[in-house]
Amino acid sequence: MVRLARSRHVAEFRRIFQDPVLFIGLLLVVIFIALAILAPIWAMVKESWTEDGQDLFSRYLGSPVYRTIIRNTLEMGLLVATLGTVLGFVLAYIQVKVAVPFKRLFHLIALVPVISPPFAVATAVLLLFGRNGMISKGIFNERYDIYGLDGLTLVLTLSYFTIAYLNMHGMMMALDPALDEAATNLGASKWRIFRTVTVPMLIPGIAGSFLLLFVEAIADLGNPLVMGGNFEVLSTRIYVSIVGLYNTTAAAVLSVILLVPSLLVFVVQRYWISRTSVVSVTGKPSGTPRQITHPLVRWPLFAFAMAITGLVFLIYGTIFVGAFTQIINVNNTFTLEHFDFVINGYGSEAMKDTTQLAAIATPIAGVLGMLVAFLVARKKFLGRNALDFATMLGIAVPGTILGIGYLLVFNSAIEVTLPVVGTFTLIPKMTGGRAVFGGAAAIVIVFIVRSVPAALRSGVAALSQIDPAIEEASISLGADNFGTFRRVTLPLVRPAFLSGLIYAFARSMTTISAIIFLTTPKTKIMTHQILNEVENGRYGNAFAYCVILILIVLAAITILSVAIGTSSGAEKTIEGGA
Amino acid sequence: MIAPQAGTLVLEEVSKTFPQRDGGGEVRAVDRVSLSIGVGEFVTLLGPSGCGKTTTLRLISGFEFPSSGRILLDGKDISNRPPNKRDMAMVFQSYALFPHMTVANNVAYGLRVRHVGQQELKQRVAHVLDLMGLAGLAERRPHEMSGGQQQRVALARSLVVEPRVLLFDEPLSNLDAKLRVQMRSEIRNIQRRLNITSVYVTHDQVEAMALSDRIVVMNDGHIEQMGTPEEIYRRPVSRFVADFIGRANFVEGTIHDVSGERATVSLLGQTVTVSAGFQPHPGDTVTVVLRPESLVLRSDPGLEQVRVEQMMYLGSSVEYLLARGDQRLIAVDTDPRSDRLFREGDLAGLTFEPETVHILPARA
Repeated sequence: MVRLARSRHVAEFRRIFQDPVLFIGLLLVVIFIALAILAPIWAMVKESWTEDGQDLFSRYLGSPVYRTIIRNTLEMGLLVATLGTVLGFVLAYIQVKVAVPFKRLFHLIALVPVISPPFAVATAVLLLFGRNGMISKGIFNERYDIYGLDGLTLVLTLSYFTIAYLNMHGMMMALDPALDEAATNLGASKWRIFRTVTVPMLIPGIAGSFLLLFVEAIADLGNPLVMGGNFEVLSTRIYVSIVGLYNTTAAAVLSVILLVPSLLVFVVQRYWISRTSVVSVTGKPSGTPRQITHPLVRWPLFAFAMAITGLVFLIYGTIFVGAFTQIINVNNTFTLEHFDFVINGYGSEAMKDTTQLAAIATPIAGVLGMLVAFLVARKKFLGRNALDFATMLGIAVPGTILGIGYLLVFNSAIEVTLPVVGTFTLIPKMTGGRAVFGGAAAIVIVFIVRSVPAALRSGVAALSQIDPAIEEASISLGADNFGTFRRVTLPLVRPAFLSGLIYAFARSMTTISAIIFLTTPKTKIMTHQILNEVENGRYGNAFAYCVILILIVLAAITILSVAIGTSSGAEKTIEGGA
Repeated sequence: MIAPQAGTLVLEEVSKTFPQRDGGGEVRAVDRVSLSIGVGEFVTLLGPSGCGKTTTLRLISGFEFPSSGRILLDGKDISNRPPNKRDMAMVFQSYALFPHMTVANNVAYGLRVRHVGQQELKQRVAHVLDLMGLAGLAERRPHEMSGGQQQRVALARSLVVEPRVLLFDEPLSNLDAKLRVQMRSEIRNIQRRLNITSVYVTHDQVEAMALSDRIVVMNDGHIEQMGTPEEIYRRPVSRFVADFIGRANFVEGTIHDVSGERATVSLLGQTVTVSAGFQPHPGDTVTVVLRPESLVLRSDPGLEQVRVEQMMYLGSSVEYLLARGDQRLIAVDTDPRSDRLFREGDLAGLTFEPETVHILPARA
C-alpha cells in the first residue's frame, strides 16, 4: 500500500516535469516561498532558541512587566476582535437585509479603511478626542486621556472592521433567501428567523472574522506606537528592542511569544472554521434577500449606520483639513506648505520610492498569487496543501516578525562554495547599510510576501467557480498547461486578478510593521515617514502624506480597473453552459 | 478512408485506484479493463453511476493515468502521455465552452493551438459550422445560445481538429428529452460520415443502443459484457446485464437434455430447446431471462394461470403486471387489440415466444 502510494506521488511529479513551464513555475514558487517566507521565520525562531534566547524566555515569562505586556496584548486583541466583529456584522446585516436609504454610501464607508494609511486614523482620533482634542476639549471641555487601551481599541476597531464586514457581507449574500421564505412559511417571525436561521448559518463567518481581527489587532504596530502611551503591547516592545536597544535576540524571543497565538488562530481558522462552514463565501447570490422594513428595526439601525458614517467622515475630514492647515487646532490658517514638503521637498523621495516599489511588487504579487492558486486548485501533487499553507504564512505571521527574520537572514550576503566554480554570492546583502539597491529589493520582496496571500485566496475562489471541464476542454484540444492558463483561465479569472492587484498595491503602499526595520536612508517609505512626522508632532506633514498616499492608491485602482477591465464578459456562463 | 481494422485504441488490463478520502484504503475504480476499438467504430461505455465508465474515459483521454495496465493508440503506448499530446478530443456533459469567446473562436481554438494558418483556419471553421448547422451563429457568445446549440458548438469544436479518437462524456444528459433524441441521431450521422473512432459514456441504455456499434456494459469497475446492441439485449451474460439493459423477467427453469451447447429446458410448464452459450448439465436449475414483449397472455385454461394485478393502456402497447404466486412478472403486448385485452383481476394463461428464451448460468 505504501509503495503504491509512493509510486503515485512519483508519477504525479513526473507528469509535472513533463510540462516545462509548469515545472519551472512550481520550482520558482517553491524557491521564493522557501527564501522569502520560511527562511526568515525559521531564522527568527532559531535566534530565539539560542542560549541567550532561552534565558530571556524564562526571564520574560516570569517577569510581572512582561506578563502585563502579554496580558495587554491579548486583552486588546479580544476587545478589538469582539467590537470589530459586531460592527462588521451589523453593517453587513444592514447592507444585505434591512431596507434603509444610502446603502451605497454605507458600503463605501465600510471599505474606506482598506486604502487608509496606518497612522491616519490614530492621529486624527488623537486630535479629535485626545487631551486637547477638538471635540473632547473643544466641545465638552474635558481633558480626556485617550492614550491606552480605550483609544487603541477605538482606532484598531475602525481600522480593521472591514475584514469582518466583507466576510459577513459575502456570507449573507450567499444565504439562500429561500431559507428565510421557508422559515416564514412555517410560521416563524422575523426575529425568530434571525435567531434560529440567520445567526446559526453565519457562526463560522462570525468566528472566522473574530479570529482574523484578533490576529490583525495583536500584530498591529503603527497604532500602538501612536496611541499606546504607557499601555505597552508585544509589537511595540519588539520595535523598541530592535530600534532602541539593538537587541535582536530579545526581539526574536518576544516575536515567538507573539507568533504562538497568531499561528494558533491561523490553524484554527484554516482547518476548523472552513470545515464547519455551511455557506460558501464564494457562492453567487441566489436572488434578492427579503428586506426588513419594520420601523423599530429599520430606523435604529439606520441611525447607527449614520453615526458610524459620521465618525468616519469626521476622521477623514480631519486628515484632509489638517493637511491644509498650519497646525490644526492651534493655528488654523490655510497653507500648502505640507503638500510642498511632501511633493517638492523632503518627502518627495519617499513618495516616489514607495510608489515605484509598490508598482514593481504589484504585478509580481498578482501573477504569483494566481500561479499558486492555479497549482493549488487545479494540479495534483504531493505538498499541495503545504504550498498553500506556506504562502498564507506571509500574512498570518505578524509583520514585525517577518521584518526581524529578514534582518537575520539577509543582513549579509549568502555565499555558496561549489567545487570547480568556487565561492560565489548566491544572494547579495539585502538589508541594512550598503544593501543591494539600498535595501529596495528586500522591501519589494516583503511587499510581495504580504500581498500574495490575498491574491491566492481570490484566485482560488475564482477558480472554484469555473467548471474544470472548461480547462480540460482546452487541454483535450491540444493546448498545454501554460497555453490553457493564458488563453482560458486567466481571462476567466480577470476580475479576481484585478482585485488581487488592487489589494497588493494598497497593501504595499500602507504597510508599516513588516518594512519598518528594512527601510534605509537610501530607500524611504511613506508610512515610515508618516510615523516620523507623527512622533515629532508635525501632524500637518503627516496628514499631507496620508492624503497623497490615499490619492495615489485611488489613482492606481482607477488605472488598473481601466487597463484590465472589471468584467470578464462571461459572468453568465462561467459554469460553461448549462 | 482507412478500412476498419481491429484495435486502433487498445486498453490492456487497465486498472485505476484512488486513495480513499478518509484515510488509509484505496478504491479500485477501474478493474483490469481490456478493450479493443477499431477505426471508425462507435463504442459506448454503459453502466450505473459509480461503475467506472467515466474514469475509463478519463484514462483514455489522459486526464487520469492508469495505476496499472497499458493504453495503446495505433500500437504506441500512450498510458503516460499528457492529454494534450494524445490527438483525442472530448465533448463534455457541461459543454465546457469557453465563455469569453465567440462561437467561431471556440471552434477555432484547437486549430490556433496547432498553429494552422489563417486562411485554412477560416475555411475549416466555416466548413464545420456549416456541417453542424451553426453557420449564422459564428459571432454569438455561448450564453446567448440554447443548450442544444451549445452542444453543437462543443461537437464542432472537437470535430474541427480531426482527432484520431472522439470522446463523449454524457454529452446529452443536460438536454431535454426531445432534443436528446434529435442530437443522438445527428451525432451518429456525423460520426458515420466522418468515420471517426468514438468512445461514448452514458448511463442511458436507450441512448447506448441507438448510437453504438458496440456496447461495453460496466459494473463495479469491471466489464460485465461487450457486444452489439442486439447481442447485449438478446443474450445477456448475467442477471445484472439483463436487468440493466431493457427490462427482464427472471424465471426458474430446469435442464433436461444437453447436446453440445444446446439444451432442453422446462419452464412455466413447457419445454423448449435453446442455445445456452455455456455448458449446462442435466438436472441443473437455471435462471431464464424472458423479455416482457416475449411473454404472451391467452385465455387458455391449459396454460399456467396468472392474475393480472395492473393493466396500463399505452396506445401502441399494453403493459401488464402479473402475479405468479409470490413473483411479479411484466408482460407487454405490442399489438393490443381490444378483443384480447385482459382487465385487472382477470386470470390469464401465460406462455412465451420459444425463440426468445435465454438462459443464464446458475451463478450469474
